[in-house]
Amino acid sequence: MKEHQIKENIAVQPKRYRSLFVFFTVVLLFSAALNIMLGSINISFSELFRIIHTHDTVTTNGFIVWKIRIPRTIAAVIGGAYLSVSGLLLQVFFRNPIVGPFILGISSGATLIVSVVMLTTLSLGFTALAPFLTTLSALAGAYATMAVVLLIAAKVKNAITLLIAGLMMGYLCHAVTSVLVAFARQENLKMFVLWQLGSFSGFKWSEIRILFIFGGLILVLVYALSKPLNAFLLGEAYASTMGVNIRVFRFLIIFCSCALAGMVTAAAGPVAFIGLAVPHMARLCFVTSDNRILIPGTVLTGAIVTGLCDLVARLAFSPIELPISSITAFFGAPIVISLLIKRKVSI
Amino acid sequence: MSGSETSTIMKTKNLSVGYNRKTVLSLVDLCFEKGKFISLLGPNGSGKTTLLRTMAGLLPPCDGSVLIDQIPLSEFRQEYLAGILSVMLTDRVSPGLFSVFEFVALGRYPHTGFLGRLKEADKKIVISSLSQVHARDLVSRQIETLSDGEKQKVLIARALAQEPGLILLDEPTIHLDLKHRMEVMSILQNLCRKKGITVVASMHDVDIAAKISDQVVLVKDGGIVSWGPPENILNKKSVAALYDFDGASFNPDLGSIEIKCNGNRGAVFVVGGIGCGAVFYRLLAKRGFAVSTGVLHTNDLDYYVAMSLGAKCITRSPLEKITRDQIDEALPLVSQADYVIDAGFPVSGLNQMNTELIRYALAQGKPVFTLRKEEDVKRFLQTDSENLIICENEIRLLDKMEKEKSRLKLPYL
Repeated sequence: MKEHQIKENIAVQPKRYRSLFVFFTVVLLFSAALNIMLGSINISFSELFRIIHTHDTVTTNGFIVWKIRIPRTIAAVIGGAYLSVSGLLLQVFFRNPIVGPFILGISSGATLIVSVVMLTTLSLGFTALAPFLTTLSALAGAYATMAVVLLIAAKVKNAITLLIAGLMMGYLCHAVTSVLVAFARQENLKMFVLWQLGSFSGFKWSEIRILFIFGGLILVLVYALSKPLNAFLLGEAYASTMGVNIRVFRFLIIFCSCALAGMVTAAAGPVAFIGLAVPHMARLCFVTSDNRILIPGTVLTGAIVTGLCDLVARLAFSPIELPISSITAFFGAPIVISLLIKRKVSI
Repeated sequence: MSGSETSTIMKTKNLSVGYNRKTVLSLVDLCFEKGKFISLLGPNGSGKTTLLRTMAGLLPPCDGSVLIDQIPLSEFRQEYLAGILSVMLTDRVSPGLFSVFEFVALGRYPHTGFLGRLKEADKKIVISSLSQVHARDLVSRQIETLSDGEKQKVLIARALAQEPGLILLDEPTIHLDLKHRMEVMSILQNLCRKKGITVVASMHDVDIAAKISDQVVLVKDGGIVSWGPPENILNKKSVAALYDFDGASFNPDLGSIEIKCNGNRGAVFVVGGIGCGAVFYRLLAKRGFAVSTGVLHTNDLDYYVAMSLGAKCITRSPLEKITRDQIDEALPLVSQADYVIDAGFPVSGLNQMNTELIRYALAQGKPVFTLRKEEDVKRFLQTDSENLIICENEIRLLDKMEKEKSRLKLPYL
């Protein structure tokens, strides 16, 4: 009787997750449709269906849907997914629930290099690169910080020490950025501040394609790491005695996490709280820490949450558009605070 | 020698262990046989954990090598090694939202494929690992809801699910209550006896280690003091030296540790024997009295307890009649004592003379506390002195004695 029950429990689980995944996918599609339909000009569902079906880019509505709304929605959705997975990886890596992509100084590093380019006359030499300059400099900043962090990671075994090193890197970058802002010319400052607020607007299809392909490849790599990620939940020592090559694995986690976060920061500016809060939401929804479930779960949750936050940012005080970080912070900060108080949700 | 070589699972050769070139232990040469229970004993900070972590491959040796089946640990592929050797550490484990089943299934890591998908056989091993630690009913509980004792059992189950030939455990019974401590030890012992798994555990309880280990390794002062079967290794001297203690002593015959009496609340002479005195010796030691006793046969339980408590003891060889000689030896101790206790030993031909001691004490006007019934007192002691105080049990006796003490003390103040 008992054996029978046990077997049944084990067999039932995948089905429960499958229906959850189906539900989340439906919610994602629904919220994406809302993102496309709602705005300063509302487009009905039948109109949307016609535009997509006939590939209409000529009419005003068609132009809005294909050139503005759809790219923005996709950017928000995949940007949110990447940031969330990046946060999940860092939370597992540091075995600390209060960690996100920003903690390693990834976004601060990106912001620093962007500020150098935007606020100084340094960019004058690179006029040929002008259109991509922000993107390239943000990526450069993210990877430069990552390189320093990895260098430290190779030296120190202790995850907490690395965490503090990341925090200090963040402060350092922030300090330099503040100095640059203080000396910056007024007209340069405005552009920089706008970027720093973070937004998923103004994405081109070409940018989205790059984001989709590279990010997608990294997501596949992350999913392939889910078995050692699970072992890592027991701590480095246990993971090592279970057969995980800790050095290689540490490198891969940080590489993937920084690449995902850096990519999104480069394109959309620093977006706060998604990477920190979404993995917790996913854990609460899927009631597991098993990364084979949690990684796709976090992708879906991150996509939905970020998509909805972007919708709120556009609609709340339309036509004035709020920065995405303010909306994510409204939702994210209470979650972080309740986590700190309750300490109930562990990684 | 060649026979034992073949059954050796782990061996250390000229091994030095430590962190960052700071050597904690050196010249460690040990050899663990298959299916044996090995305990590492030593004071806190002696390097037991460092040694275990080095043997688990978590720390590189400072010098020398750890060999498994004659092959150095460093030459194993990590995943292959995980199928031979598993560990249970003192690190806090909080993996988050996992059921017990899923958690133990993590132990299948070295045996499963790319994504760690469990086959039917894996599931069976997970369940049987849980059964072996008597934790099968926990299978669908969440890890975070388990008590310390349950969690410890589940951690052992996880180590078992790796299907190792050798398990290294760091302080497996720390923080556990008595029930779980005993349960964990018997589980580990069963792994050796029934499954032929070698268990190497660092331990704090010398008495438990002595009872269940095949081998003990004494770790102290940067090296291995000695190692071998506990019957050869553990004695009063070696255990006292290992932990640097004077106030207590280990008795290999009793297999227990007694806290010595160095009392200053007064001298008590216990007329004991045939196991009646042991409870008094411990009780008096606990309440801070200096104990002397006699005349005991050297095969008597009372003798062993008295010796490990450090009591003064007048003895007689086993199965020989106690004679006037021993009594004369004991009489000065009775004279020096403030009180005399008659433990109520059964009187026979061999210890008949011990009643002399009681009569002597009464004749000297010392209060004698006895556990005998009134009619027995008359029969054995042939006295009705008013100094003889009859008590119904040991605690009452001690209480009466302490009351008497405070009464008697007054005039001296």
